[in-house]
Amino acid sequence: MIRLRNIEKIYRTDTVETLALNSISLDIAKGEFLSIMGPSGCGKSTLLNIMGLLDTPSNGQVQIDDQATTALSDKQLAHFRNRKIGFIFQSYHLINDLKVLDNVELPMLYRNSSAGERKQLATEALEKVGLSNRIKHFPKQLSGGQKQRVAIARAIVGKPEIILADEPTGNLDSAMGNEIMDILLELNKTDGTTIVMVTHDENMARKTHRLVRLFDGTQVQ
Amino acid sequence: MLKHLFILIWNKKKQNSLLLTEVLVSFLVLFAVFTLLVFNYRNYSKPRGFEYSNVWVANFNNDLGTTNGDSAAMFYDNLRRNMLSLPQVKAVCFTNANTPFSGNTSQTGFPYKGKDVRSINYYLAEDSYKDALQLHLLEGRWFAKNEGAAKNKPIVINNKLKTELFGTGKALGQLVGDDKNQMQVIGVVEDGKYTNEYMPAGKAMYVRPDTSEYHWMGTAMIRVAPGSDAAFEGRLYKLMANTMKNANIEITHLEDKRKSANNTTLVPVIILGTVSGFLIINVALGLFGVLWYNINKRRGEIGLRRAVGATGNGISGQLVAESLLLATLALLVGIFFAIQFPLLNVLDLPTGVYLWALLFAIVFIYALVLVCSLYPGKQAAAIYPAVALHED
Ligand SMILES: Nc1ncnc2c1ncn2[C@@H]1O[C@H](COP(=O)(O)OP(=O)(O)OP(=O)(O)O)[C@@H](O)[C@H]1O
Ligand SMILES: [Mg+2]
Repeated sequence: MIRLRNIEKIYRTDTVETLALNSISLDIAKGEFLSIMGPSGCGKSTLLNIMGLLDTPSNGQVQIDDQATTALSDKQLAHFRNRKIGFIFQSYHLINDLKVLDNVELPMLYRNSSAGERKQLATEALEKVGLSNRIKHFPKQLSGGQKQRVAIARAIVGKPEIILADEPTGNLDSAMGNEIMDILLELNKTDGTTIVMVTHDENMARKTHRLVRLFDGTQVQ
Repeated sequence: MLKHLFILIWNKKKQNSLLLTEVLVSFLVLFAVFTLLVFNYRNYSKPRGFEYSNVWVANFNNDLGTTNGDSAAMFYDNLRRNMLSLPQVKAVCFTNANTPFSGNTSQTGFPYKGKDVRSINYYLAEDSYKDALQLHLLEGRWFAKNEGAAKNKPIVINNKLKTELFGTGKALGQLVGDDKNQMQVIGVVEDGKYTNEYMPAGKAMYVRPDTSEYHWMGTAMIRVAPGSDAAFEGRLYKLMANTMKNANIEITHLEDKRKSANNTTLVPVIILGTVSGFLIINVALGLFGVLWYNINKRRGEIGLRRAVGATGNGISGQLVAESLLLATLALLVGIFFAIQFPLLNVLDLPTGVYLWALLFAIVFIYALVLVCSLYPGKQAAAIYPAVALHED
């Protein structure tokens, strides 16, 4: 599903050059639930962003669904992200000025689907994460766990084959975190969604199929 | 997408209200300025109705009040003959003080078909008046030598008065006024913009002076040959002063009068234009600042939108569309207010003036908003999603 070959990422500022990722090669199969662990600053988010086509590697290839992504235009990349990938972030990234339902509808907006269809899919997605009774709320009126569930609903509304989650439980207590984890496990099991999750929590990682450890931009396990 | 933008704007109505008010106020100011400009331009582009160059105006204090009318008329005829003997003098007419660009008016009214027609400019016009000002005759004729014999007092009217009195109907030969004082229209001249070139012409009638009216005349309009100079002006002055002992004579040129008369309209317009220009610059900077600020505040949102499938161009398009939509909302309110002016006929201007002003103000506002949002929008498109998402 996702194939990384010799991925290198170098950040250059005026004074320093950071090698954030060093020759990472990784194959993630369809339906796999992979977790990534490693100390802070080791390049986990960078790797996830590259997989999600939000960032480009300095060297190396990214293939998604057997398609090379290096030469894709901005428009094609946007299309890819919209159709294939759902993102979940540690800090949720909900739009505070939009109600829950409108937040969840967002990916469908970029597919030019009709208002009715958008609403229906968003409602279904919110049902899946158990938030159908909060659709008219603004993000400010929700708890952290609820916000993350909205973010998951947004990630799954377009039925993507891949979900990339960057510390989805990082801001939550363990009860809330387990709830989120259960939703992801359920998605993986029933819908066969491929999931890559960055986590700091060994317990969470243990529930996934495979664990990759990074250290200083290099894969150590 | 439009619905989405509406939702976004609606949910941020507090933040947007300031921007909306700014756009609304600028629109109303622009509407006022454009109304004035369109009105003045329309007047300016109409024919003047007379020729000002090489016309001099001599004002004098008439001290003939004691002599009888006939001798006064003879006195002026004599003076005229003397003046015409100067080779540079082409035409001389004596009249009242309401010469073009003088700021003086003299108005009258008369009944016509049971209606009282008011605010008609009344010009005492000798036979030579037409030549002095080179009035443009549209229909009929100007006064002739033996006019005195006619039963009804002959008058020449301008086109505007003709339209008010007769519409598209025939004007020549029509009788106006009451039984005691009947007047007959013998000619129609083009409207003359006597106030200045940026103001509309008024209704006008030209009446041949009776001998009795020479008592009150204190102005001569003299058409001189092109290139007549100060030395000639001195000779003319001397000639008049010799004839009219003890009179205070002042000679001015219509060309100079025109400039100062035009300025009475232009200067306020320029001041207003400058003030509103600064206001608009201020609004533009404010608009630019707010949009710029918004975009920086919305970096997270922009990154997120990119992550879920927006292209860079899509982002800048959305931001520009948001601004234009906001402007449209403000304009809808503004147009509602602006449209009241023609509907209630507040200032008695032609509806066309308002409609053009409305159009210009709308186009200007859209252009302003577009210009102010294009650059911030472009910057937003360049925001790197991975970085923006990383920040908070
Ligand atoms: N935009 C950037 N410019 C320069 N350096 C960057 C940039 N983004 C990340 N880095 C560097 O790249 C390295 C990897 O960062 P990354 O965010 O991937 O770490 P991480 O493993 O996700 O850490 P954390 O667990 O704290 O989220 C770090 O050293 C960071 O300083
Ligand atoms: Mg990270």
